[in-house]
Amino acid sequence: MIAAWYAIVSLMLITYVVLDGRNFGAGLLFAVIAKTREERRQVIAAIGPLWSWHEVWLVAFGGVLVAVFPKLMASAFAGYYLALFLILWCLILRGISIEVGGHINDRLWQGFWDFVFVSANLLLAVLFGAAAGNLARGVPLDANGDFSMPFFTDFTPRGHVGLLDWYTVSVAIFAVVILTAHGATYLTLKTEGPVHDRCAIYARYLWALVAPVLLIITVESLEVRPELFGQAISNPICWLGLLVIIGSATALVSGLWTGRELRAFLASNFLLAGLLITGSAAIFPVMLYSTLSPQDSLTANSVAAPHNSLFLASIWWPIGFALATLYFVFISRRYAGKVSVNRDNQSVY
Amino acid sequence: MNSNLSDPAFWSRFQFGFTLTYHYLFPQLTMGLAWFLVYWKWRALRTGDEKYNHAVRFWAKIFGLNFAVGVVTGIPMEFQFGTNWAGFTRYAGGVIGQTLAMEGMFAFFLESAFIGALIWGEKRLGPRYHFLAAVGVALGSWLSGYFILVTNAFMQHPVGYKVGADGLLGISSLSAYLLNPWAWVEFAHNQMAALVTGSFVVAAVGAFYSLREQHPKQSQLYLRAGVSAGLIASLLVAFPTGDQQAKMVGRHQPVTLAAMEGRFQGGSMAGVAIIGQPNVAAQRLDNPIEVPGALSFLAYGTFQSYVHGLDEYPANAWPDNIELLYYSFHLMITLGTIFILLMAFATFQNWRGRLQSSTWLLWVLMLAFPFPYIANTVGWMTAELGRQPWLAYGLFHTRDGYSKVVSNGNTIFTLIGFIGLYFVLGLLFLFLVGREIAHGPDEEAAVEGRARVVTARGKEQVA
Repeated sequence: MIAAWYAIVSLMLITYVVLDGRNFGAGLLFAVIAKTREERRQVIAAIGPLWSWHEVWLVAFGGVLVAVFPKLMASAFAGYYLALFLILWCLILRGISIEVGGHINDRLWQGFWDFVFVSANLLLAVLFGAAAGNLARGVPLDANGDFSMPFFTDFTPRGHVGLLDWYTVSVAIFAVVILTAHGATYLTLKTEGPVHDRCAIYARYLWALVAPVLLIITVESLEVRPELFGQAISNPICWLGLLVIIGSATALVSGLWTGRELRAFLASNFLLAGLLITGSAAIFPVMLYSTLSPQDSLTANSVAAPHNSLFLASIWWPIGFALATLYFVFISRRYAGKVSVNRDNQSVY
Repeated sequence: MNSNLSDPAFWSRFQFGFTLTYHYLFPQLTMGLAWFLVYWKWRALRTGDEKYNHAVRFWAKIFGLNFAVGVVTGIPMEFQFGTNWAGFTRYAGGVIGQTLAMEGMFAFFLESAFIGALIWGEKRLGPRYHFLAAVGVALGSWLSGYFILVTNAFMQHPVGYKVGADGLLGISSLSAYLLNPWAWVEFAHNQMAALVTGSFVVAAVGAFYSLREQHPKQSQLYLRAGVSAGLIASLLVAFPTGDQQAKMVGRHQPVTLAAMEGRFQGGSMAGVAIIGQPNVAAQRLDNPIEVPGALSFLAYGTFQSYVHGLDEYPANAWPDNIELLYYSFHLMITLGTIFILLMAFATFQNWRGRLQSSTWLLWVLMLAFPFPYIANTVGWMTAELGRQPWLAYGLFHTRDGYSKVVSNGNTIFTLIGFIGLYFVLGLLFLFLVGREIAHGPDEEAAVEGRARVVTARGKEQVA
């Protein structure tokens, strides 16, 4: 039961990253792919109508985390205090910039909110990347299961670590690259005209860049947490994840090469999910690793809610999930189709 | 509240209270306004009168802005359970996590899926589905309110839990927890209060247009709907919901009731103070003017009923800010009474057909809309200050709930950040809503007409 909940919670967070990742990516590419005001509106319209639905995955993840792993929520959220508030503020600014940017058709107004949009997305990609790096590397947990971390200490990934060190910064850079590639792939599918053509080119270059950076952080992970690879090899889920990665990478390359945009975009989603699934399966059952003394690490068992709470949640969660899927089918049909510059067919964005 | 400024619990309370108070300015209008949209959309379907669709289109724009700020300021609330209240999350997460998660799974997915459809989907969806989108958003927002109020009701009156071997809480009965009697009463009271806010805002915009002699058909529609719904909601918020809420407090939190009324000594024939300032050091109400027996009657049903005084409880069981609690409660009661009188008079004038011509009444209605926000806020302050010194009543002290590992330096840093960010957000919101109100409802050009203008302009610029 606890392993199943670990999988559900991980998949909810992964769903969020895959869904909102394309928005981060679109935001990061904003300046280079959209040259005119109309093109910038077009990019916002391509991601706009669904941003709050994507963010609900993060909120729902947080809620489920309290329900099934309350002690992890308590330890991790207090420990990541500063990073989490930066993420929250960026999410606020990002949402507002999407929402109000289109309200006034004015050069200064839109220029300002476009700038806010880009900065917030960049910081979000970096912060989520660093957070992923922190999950892999571990945090300075003490025997009470508590930790607190400044932004940085001595930039080494051992002992009293900070949020940022050479390893987590590398993962953050990787996150920026792969999310940008993901965003470019999405916009290629979702737009037409000059924006589409630019995105198609950027998507190829960026995905080509993903491969070497992935190799680098894999080697770095081997250095920082060598035992993870032993765990991964003995975990069938990791092999499944690897299969997904290989399959989707192949589909991605062929999709990009032959201009099959939907295939490329789906592959991009699965590739991102495959990487995250492999990673989260490799660290299981540890949810938060202690860089001070590994025996103080928090495992899924030690942070789980009492059995009855888990049991009750496993009754209503599937119902909620089925409903959420139903709504998703409804809204994605509504927003199907490309967004063009001169046909404001979706919204006031 | 602890006056010791080096106390970490103080700063975490301050931040949570500030961000929550600010956040709740938005959902209360969302929850109130949602049913106006449903009602007008339904009228449009039934009568085919285009004025209802104009009203929906206009209010949906304000609703959308309000909703967006509500969403972005809501996410920090959930996160702060972990960041600032780790002690409480560790202790009670096995119980309150259920509703926090349900809110995401059942309410937010519903709301966020249909909000876009409600605001921009009219053409694509057609009138029936557009009506359903309005219903979906309204239900989602009320469902979200219910789950949060169950969470709060657990903190006020814990039920359905069991204490594990490690001293932490788990859930024993989900139905008992979800159907907490406190939650039902609080939900009814709170939702009626949200409807009061919605009604006052709708009426205020109607009065504004009426006084400026703009949009006569629309202003009449807003005034009638706002004033009628406002009277019903103002009455229901006081009786039976507010009355039941007070009785609930009297039954389960007698020391809170004593503090709310500034009753330092117990006794029968307890009065409700109209005027009087609590003097906690001297343990008395200064210069009191009371309605004798009113509190006894309201809380326990007869004038002779005995109402406990603070002197019957040790001082460490008292709510830790009696003065603020007292004023919050009295301000809420006073405003609630004024709302009933104002809306009753406005409904009477409306019935006589004199509302549109009664300039001074329109002025009052136009300027009255901030007061329901104040009443909602002080109502919540009454609930939450009254719960002190407990985080979960009778189970867990507030001083044990905050995150021990978070330094004051970090909390004060994020508090400053929130104050700055929310100030800017508030200015932005007022500016944009003001702009929509100044622009007014489109009565001549329907959405199609507007869309054509946008398209034409776009093409021109591309060419």
